[in-house]
Amino acid sequence: MVLDDLGSSLRGTLDDLRGKSRIDKADVDEVVKQIQRSLLQADVDVGLVMGLSDSIKDRALNEEPVAGTTARDQVLKIVYEEMVGLVGDSTEIPLESQTIMLAGLQGSGKTTTAAKIAWWFSKKGLRPAVIQTDTFRPGAYDQAKQMCERAEVDFYGDPDGNDPVEIAREGLEATADAEVHIVDTAGRHALESDLIDEIEEIDTVVDPDLSLLVLDAAIGQGAKQQAQEFEESIGVGGVIITKLDGTAKGGGALTAVNETESSIAFLGTGETVQDIERFEPNGFISRLLGMGDLKQLSERVERAMAETQAEDEDWDPEDIMKGSFTLKDMKKQMEAMNRMGPLDQVLDMIPGFGGGIMDQLPDDAMDTTQDRMRQFEVIMDSMTDEEMENPQSVTSAQIERIARGSGTEEETVRELLSQHKMMDQTLNQFKGMGDGDMQRMMKKMQKGGGGGGLGGMGPFG
Amino acid sequence: MFDGLKDKLNKFRKNVEETAEEKSEAEVEAGSETESEPKTEPALEPEADEPVDATAEPATETGKTGSGSEPEPEPELEPEPASEPTQTDAESGDSEDSSGPSAFKRAAAFATGKIIIEEEDLEDPLWELEMALIQSDVEMSVAEEMLETIREKMIGETRKQVDTTGELVEEALKDALLDVISVGQFDFDQRIADADKPVTIVFTGVNGVGKTTSIAKLSEYLGNQGYSVVLANGDTYRAGANEQIKSHADNLGRKLISHEQGGDPAAVLYDGVKYAESNDIDIVLGDTAGRLHTSDDLMSQLAKIDRVVDPDMTLFVDEAVAGQDAVQRAKKFNEAAAIDGTVLTKADADSSGGAAISIAYVTGKPILFLGVGQDYNDIERFDPELLVERLLGDE
Repeated sequence: MVLDDLGSSLRGTLDDLRGKSRIDKADVDEVVKQIQRSLLQADVDVGLVMGLSDSIKDRALNEEPVAGTTARDQVLKIVYEEMVGLVGDSTEIPLESQTIMLAGLQGSGKTTTAAKIAWWFSKKGLRPAVIQTDTFRPGAYDQAKQMCERAEVDFYGDPDGNDPVEIAREGLEATADAEVHIVDTAGRHALESDLIDEIEEIDTVVDPDLSLLVLDAAIGQGAKQQAQEFEESIGVGGVIITKLDGTAKGGGALTAVNETESSIAFLGTGETVQDIERFEPNGFISRLLGMGDLKQLSERVERAMAETQAEDEDWDPEDIMKGSFTLKDMKKQMEAMNRMGPLDQVLDMIPGFGGGIMDQLPDDAMDTTQDRMRQFEVIMDSMTDEEMENPQSVTSAQIERIARGSGTEEETVRELLSQHKMMDQTLNQFKGMGDGDMQRMMKKMQKGGGGGGLGGMGPFG
Repeated sequence: MFDGLKDKLNKFRKNVEETAEEKSEAEVEAGSETESEPKTEPALEPEADEPVDATAEPATETGKTGSGSEPEPEPELEPEPASEPTQTDAESGDSEDSSGPSAFKRAAAFATGKIIIEEEDLEDPLWELEMALIQSDVEMSVAEEMLETIREKMIGETRKQVDTTGELVEEALKDALLDVISVGQFDFDQRIADADKPVTIVFTGVNGVGKTTSIAKLSEYLGNQGYSVVLANGDTYRAGANEQIKSHADNLGRKLISHEQGGDPAAVLYDGVKYAESNDIDIVLGDTAGRLHTSDDLMSQLAKIDRVVDPDMTLFVDEAVAGQDAVQRAKKFNEAAAIDGTVLTKADADSSGGAAISIAYVTGKPILFLGVGQDYNDIERFDPELLVERLLGDE
């Protein structure tokens, strides 16, 4: 994801500084060179990169290190602070009634993003509505309508209309009941002056509380000009980076944020309406520097846990921490994992898992693991409550029955049981942590090294 | 598009010319001494017999063998090899380095009215050129490849003072550009004309780059040449995809083959080909769902479509505004379903055009068309030679 490569190459360079108590100019030059290279490869604007690297160089050479810190930590701190300064805070989005307008280039993902944001607001307990004003692109109406059905949110559009301004006006009236209005607009680029005029008109009618610029993570140096023009015409209050599930780094968004003096609001990470995340600068930088994105992971975990719980009031994940770990718990855990999204995305956020380790896994490791999880689920469906509660007392006769019932091999059933046993043992190590705080658990795993964490996280065979 | 890059290339040419100017003035000042006088040489002139130079330059020396007994470092770059060999022996005594023009060679060049361009002369302009290329969205490794070509062409090169450095730079730039962008050229129109009908063309690319719009435009382009065209919608995934391509087909009066959303994309395209065969249609344009190259499932689906449909041509669609990542996805798509060429969309939104250079270089397949607007006829053939001429031409 964003700037992952910077993470790894920078980590490498910084590791070279380990053990040094003082850094000389050559060390700093090398770090700065790596940062420049990585940021440029991430599509960050050239001017911005040079400015950033100059200040890192300047500070690293001139600032007195805090007593007791190593040279490496000192550089790390400076890089971190400068990066935070560059990225900025995430756009403030109050959970209250408001109107948000989306703008951006053709194909940047506005329509999908509109439905995603609506979904996000509905999860926060607000009632959103999407108003589709793209009368130009064929199929835009149908796409928006279908996406909104998937997100289970209100939708307004006019398949026969040809005046976006009129549709915006009517849409706001028709969806007056909704608390959050999200106005989607047709794609346009900064050099199409008639279309820029048009969005200014829509802007006047809609009078949004917030205008968000939607940018494809892959956008290159052109992001600067596009951001400037949109800023000038409608005033950009925040940026959304889409298609971050690809290999593009999203550096264009940093440029846009810098140009519009705004911030990043959301990240789009997939094709379904749930694939949206709030931008978290600290987590983002932490991951960048190889410390893992704890905050974002715990948010996903909490959300997934909450959903699982909503379906089954009797089950409390914290019981795992207190009492025994049964197959029922393992099943819940697997369901929760599934809800968090594709396994590779989740793993990517676990400290120590991003970048290097992921690359070392065979390409199909994730698919295999996911297939296996599905198989385990089928097996568990064929087990009795008694067997689920006390897996350790399952006999071989029972195993045979379960295998037949689930249409799997006995071997697979045994694998499931031994997997459970392993997890039970791993979890025993975490007992006594008290409140079952997910984040602390993650940290503990990190200290235990990647392998330990792997065993603890579930059936990642 | 490309105007930004043009300005930057011009700047590079000027930079090098200025450097060479200063240098040649310095040479003149260095005066009437025929043999080189190291102590009075200006700073611009690196000393050939200083070991420092040996470490600074060896990477660019292709002909070097690494031993002090071979003081003539670049025989193949030297325009007058005949005059050199005899001097080589005489020289070997006083020079322990094997790279960089020797003091003697510089003196000889000076005596015959030439100067030699050395790595130091190019360092700053090349750095600026690299930044300029990256600023134009040329991918970093591709930019480095271009710089390497320029280095090879220019360093150690002697020129008559009556030649302008500008000409030398222009030549090197032209070679470097053509090397990366003029790849696998073929005449698209001719290939269509020669192919057995129906010709099946499948379009691939990531989400939102403009595959469907490009298909609509290309159907018009081919229709204008008198071909009959049928569209087949292999995007059975995205919401609104059927409606989008249906409107285009209706607007253009073309037949569309489509299935229900969620159907098998290969089957739709296959039906399109069958339809064309039984109705004497010349060309089938097959759309596919946008997919990110990181999705293994969707990429193997694409490979399957490629196997089942076995199209006559696969065109990769990407957008001109794409940055460094353009190389990654072009590579992956080319691997999943080998492409024949690229359509670059949204060229009207971009002033630099580096993506064209990166994609052509990394796939080894030509950029065939540019999408330059929202109307059906906003599509242009792409000619790399013309582009390079335009980039390097005078205002």
